Amino acid sequence: MKIVIFPFAKTMRTGKQHPKNYPWWPELIKLLQDDGHEVIQVGLDHETQLVPDFRKNLSIEQLSNLLKETDTWIGVDSFGQHLGWYLGIKGIALFGQSDPVIFGHVENINILKSRKYLREQQFWLWEQAEFNADAFVKPDEVFETFNKTFKNQEKTLPNVLNFIR
Amino acid sequence: MKEILCSISTRGRYDTTLSLAIQAVINQTKKIDKLIIFDDNDNPKDLREIQMYMYLLQTMDAKGIEWEVLFGQKKGQHYNHQIANTMGYEWVWRVDDDCVPEHNTLENLWKHVGPDVGAVGGSILTPPFAPVENSTGKIENLNSEPNIQWDFIKQKQEVDHLHCSFIYRAGINDYNLSLSRVAHREETLFTYGLKQKGYKLFVVPNAITWHYRNQQGGIRTETEELFHHDEYVFRKNLEIMDKTIVVLDSGLGDHLVFKKVLPDIKNPEIFSCWPEIIPGRSIQEAKDLFGDIDKYNVYIQMDKWKWQDSLENAFRKLYVEKL
Repeated sequence: MKIVIFPFAKTMRTGKQHPKNYPWWPELIKLLQDDGHEVIQVGLDHETQLVPDFRKNLSIEQLSNLLKETDTWIGVDSFGQHLGWYLGIKGIALFGQSDPVIFGHVENINILKSRKYLREQQFWLWEQAEFNADAFVKPDEVFETFNKTFKNQEKTLPNVLNFIR
Repeated sequence: MKEILCSISTRGRYDTTLSLAIQAVINQTKKIDKLIIFDDNDNPKDLREIQMYMYLLQTMDAKGIEWEVLFGQKKGQHYNHQIANTMGYEWVWRVDDDCVPEHNTLENLWKHVGPDVGAVGGSILTPPFAPVENSTGKIENLNSEPNIQWDFIKQKQEVDHLHCSFIYRAGINDYNLSLSRVAHREETLFTYGLKQKGYKLFVVPNAITWHYRNQQGGIRTETEELFHHDEYVFRKNLEIMDKTIVVLDSGLGDHLVFKKVLPDIKNPEIFSCWPEIIPGRSIQEAKDLFGDIDKYNVYIQMDKWKWQDSLENAFRKLYVEKL
């Protein structure tokens, strides 16, 4: 499958690691690539490159077209998960301290390790929270969820077509 | 909940009309629960150290009227009114520091308060009295007629806006804080906003306030430029007052979520951070027109509501279900 990843949330003013950022992208990408999937990273100039195919600074239109051409997406709780949902393309959103009940979409696969890691003040600035890698599920769990959801599916766009097919 | 807060905002009138206004307020036939005085003087005094004021404060103590003096922010009386508006009282009776209500003014205003009423005003008379004829109190006639309250009100009448001193339902509409410190038209914008939120405004008879217009103090020493600024803000606000104001001062993803809600919003006027997703006017324009835009910020509202539902439903609560 061709998978778009949105690995990073918007850079914080403090320069610190964003608490929304998933800590085990290299491991997750390896699991996906070893299973034969093609991974395309999207993001901004200054972000760490994780795969050879890194599409930088795409416009919303370009990003939408890319998503439509691929099979699915995996991302943190940022713009990507909203865009995937808006376009009707099922994907996986990785949550840590933000609450998927509030910020997620039921049409997506929202993975939250435990509600005990949710920050108490969901609506405060992220600069007021600390990064915590323990808040996220491990990559093998994401991979397992990915397989359960997408294995044997040729194409996930849009959901309604899958149903008809 | 306590019912009536009286609010007086003062500047430069310690030695002229302020004490008359306070005395008139505390000697009403309908008692207020509390008097709050916002002191916007450049060199504020401790009223307890001035014998006349000390007597008035002691009179309130004796009558069981709570009182408080706050040193204002000197940003204009609209800032003070907004504080009074959000102090948790059901009704606020605003009285200017050069206004002297007759002994039964509040009682006669209060008679007309009801569940669908947003504000009630009476006559605001400036000596020497000159009668005003055929005024309607309609917003479209604002520039072509004298204010209806400048005459003896002969019968109860529904209007679009009120002037100077009136009693209003608190916590429903906000004062426009983008106005300058002269706060020109602040009460017109405020009361017309109450009407836009579905409440009726009335002028009523036998509720007279004497306006001892004083060239010293207040806003009359301020510059013409500020009046022009406020007139501009006023006109621009009037143009969109019947619309649902939407200010999307948030992230890119939030705009996408909002996009699903947009078709359900009645007559929206949109200010947007990301016009490529949600076309609209700039956030700076919203700040210039409304001053405080926090009330439109979905995150601030969700925090206030202790929200536990989806972001989409928060947008619905803010913009679709609102009055």
